[in-house]
Amino acid sequence: MDWFAAGENGPLIAIRAIHFAASAMTTGTLVFGTVVGNPALRSEPQLALLQRAQMLRLAWIGVAITVLSGVIWLWFQAAAIAGLPLGEALTSSLLLTVLNETQFGLVWEIRTVLAIILAACLAYGRFVPAKWLALATAIGLTAAIAWTGHAGSTAGELGKLHLAADVLHLAAAAAWIGGLVPLVLLLTAVRRAQAVAWPSLAWEATRRFSMLGVISVATLLTTGIVNAWILVGSFHALATSEYGRLLILKLVVFAIMLAFAVVNRFWLTPRLAISSGNELPFAALRGLTHNGVIEIALGFAIFAIVGMLGTMHPATHLF
Amino acid sequence: MRISSVFGVIPLLLLLAVGEASAHAMLDHAEPRVGNKVATAPREVTLWFTQKLEPAFSTITVTDSTGKRVDTGKTRVSGSQMSISLRPGGSGTYRVKWHVLSTDTHTTDGRFTFQVGQ
Repeated sequence: MDWFAAGENGPLIAIRAIHFAASAMTTGTLVFGTVVGNPALRSEPQLALLQRAQMLRLAWIGVAITVLSGVIWLWFQAAAIAGLPLGEALTSSLLLTVLNETQFGLVWEIRTVLAIILAACLAYGRFVPAKWLALATAIGLTAAIAWTGHAGSTAGELGKLHLAADVLHLAAAAAWIGGLVPLVLLLTAVRRAQAVAWPSLAWEATRRFSMLGVISVATLLTTGIVNAWILVGSFHALATSEYGRLLILKLVVFAIMLAFAVVNRFWLTPRLAISSGNELPFAALRGLTHNGVIEIALGFAIFAIVGMLGTMHPATHLF
Repeated sequence: MRISSVFGVIPLLLLLAVGEASAHAMLDHAEPRVGNKVATAPREVTLWFTQKLEPAFSTITVTDSTGKRVDTGKTRVSGSQMSISLRPGGSGTYRVKWHVLSTDTHTTDGRFTFQVGQ
């Protein structure tokens, strides 16, 4: 089994993983700010201001890495398409053909425009319409990845259903996994700010985030069932293949993330609300922050696996 | 119990993720049919694939029994279907070689033969 010796596809896998993670972080940060960060800190204007500055910085970093890794992805993908070494693929004629004449190229152009609009919105974020436009373009930036993958090539009416499911799947994954980064930053900021009401702020933020998580996981499941229904025919062949085993690894990592989420939701979060006498629930907050960091690492592992799966020829070719 | 319901979904996820893997363009069927015999040399060869194709990077070449190319060199792509016109040719074994890029950025290729006449 040579899963980890991905050979010639190594650079493509790596850049896809980085790109997916950066896109998810960008989208997750904006979703987080809208439904978790801003509402949770409404009663603490100073902390809210600090949090907004933090979100903005995170979003900028996300957009920058997304755009940069996107350019490299285009280069590496063009090389893979043309079957050329990376050095020889850097010709304007090949890159222009890929950009102008393939679906991958069209989606790449649309997503680049979305990234530029998003950057403009971040620069002029003090206007309310810009905030909503930023949220919409950030979601679009990640959701549009669906058209570059398997769902983008399913023929006929079924293809539309497959795409719709994949769009939701990507958006849900970004909201949850990408949102973990701002969550960890917010919990750290709340702890350092030493506001009197910090346990209730942290409780409110994690409670809101876990609601977002439940909605995301439910969406991942629903869209997953739709995809399974569309493509279930190859289950047996793939269950015994390397491709199938790599998918199982992805799901094991996902299950571990879910287990952490369950601990956070049903064990640590309720403890934030309990102040036994004067003892503040530092341990619970620290636990949530630590788990968040571990979940981020697991989330990146999932992006790496997805980056690898997308470049592999599925095992159906062998049967 | 909520935890058990969370873990109960794992088989469903498994189903989902495995399902995704059946993508990538593979030859579904062709006209003339793969390996079949036809009475006279066809005017064109058409291939149907399991995925949508990229015209810019999808090609067919057809050679006759002497190894001479009999296709006109212009592959037409429409959705998941690809065809090429043939010049009039004789009988014998025709070889079809195809190379496609599906819209999910994966290249696949293959070859097959069909018989003309005899």
